[in-house]
Amino acid sequence: MDLLERYLQAVGNYLPGKGKQDTLAELRANLIAEMEGREEELGRPLNEAEVSAVLERHGRPVIVASRYLPQHYLIGPGLFPIYWYTLLKSFPLVVLAYTVAEGSFLLFGGGGAAQFGSAIAKFPYVVFTFWGWMTLGFAAFEFAQGRYIDQIKWDKGWDPRALPERAAGKEPSLANRVADLVMNALGLMWLLAVPNHPYLVLGPGAPLKKLSLTLTPDWHVFYWQIVGLLAVMLVLKAVALFASARLRAGLKLTCQAIGILILVVMVQARTYFAPLREGSNQLSLTNLASINYSLNLAFKIALAVTVVKFLWDLWQTLAGSRMKAAGFVRVF
Amino acid sequence: MTVEIQNELFDSLRLELRRGCLVLAVLAQLRVEHYGYTLRKALADQGLEIEESTLYPLLRRLETQGLLTSEWREEEKRNKRFYRLSAEGAVILEQLLAEWTGINDSLHRILKNEKER
Repeated sequence: MDLLERYLQAVGNYLPGKGKQDTLAELRANLIAEMEGREEELGRPLNEAEVSAVLERHGRPVIVASRYLPQHYLIGPGLFPIYWYTLLKSFPLVVLAYTVAEGSFLLFGGGGAAQFGSAIAKFPYVVFTFWGWMTLGFAAFEFAQGRYIDQIKWDKGWDPRALPERAAGKEPSLANRVADLVMNALGLMWLLAVPNHPYLVLGPGAPLKKLSLTLTPDWHVFYWQIVGLLAVMLVLKAVALFASARLRAGLKLTCQAIGILILVVMVQARTYFAPLREGSNQLSLTNLASINYSLNLAFKIALAVTVVKFLWDLWQTLAGSRMKAAGFVRVF
Repeated sequence: MTVEIQNELFDSLRLELRRGCLVLAVLAQLRVEHYGYTLRKALADQGLEIEESTLYPLLRRLETQGLLTSEWREEEKRNKRFYRLSAEGAVILEQLLAEWTGINDSLHRILKNEKER
């Protein structure tokens, strides 16, 4: 019976103090009865190997002890889907906030490549911190439910008629919308940084210097127009992240219209590059006129395509609204 | 699907299927007083094998839920903990049996219809 006592001691190591002796006494009585039943079948006392087999079949002490403990969840099965959904939905927003914060610091704080590397290296830490706090918050909520606040029945008290309206086409995911917003924010920050950091625009266009070219004075006019329009677009896209599907469709069309206005400004500019100083050679001037013409044509083509796309999307949205007003409901 | 995955899936579904039935069987069997070992034997004699490590903690849980009562008593010169269905347990057992009978009848009808097709 030494083996039995050692087994009970091992099980006891994993049991809480309260009720431990009671549980072990019951387990002892049952295991002894089990062994006596086996002895009765065999007609002789059990040897050590047979006692060991009975205990082995009964289970590893830590597992056996865990079955006597109340079931604990950090986040229970009722709350877990909500936790997981919240994690997935809020993660793109964390990426957005981090990108905007670090991007601003990088562009206006004078950071270089080292700062960029540091921002990338810190990102996993930010993700783990976010995940940790979310998990902790939900675990605290799980703990409080039923103890300090009423148990919430997540599958009760909801109205199917309050579900968001079905999107007319394939609606971009939240991650896509956040990525779009991040790109928009980075574009605007880049544009704002250009006056103080000319290399941001002339860096890739370094050969322009050799050709004795520079941006026309008109840039000062349409630069601020474009900055203003991009800023408005950024705000609208940020609002769209939290808006209903219907409002989102309207904001999307507004952003498209702003995109058209930006292209109109670019088309109206006509001349983008001018000679750096007088006396530039004739070949450069010919090329310059050709470059300006090509750029203007490219903006005109982009404007035409964007206008057609805008009109198509507008028609789709209006047609969808008319169908709904007439009482049609898409079921499938 | 490999045979291994299929077996794992079957084991998991079988466990799920048995879990509720075991509670019902234990409650029904404890209309007559038993201690852990004799309860296991009684269930096994009727074709329902339950591992000790599953049954004994289950008895504790059912007692905590108020469905069973227990008392320590000496039998054959040994102290044993005897369990019995409580009054609340008897009410719940009747409700569970009605539920189980309904499910069983439905399943029989579904299976019968399948055979007739």
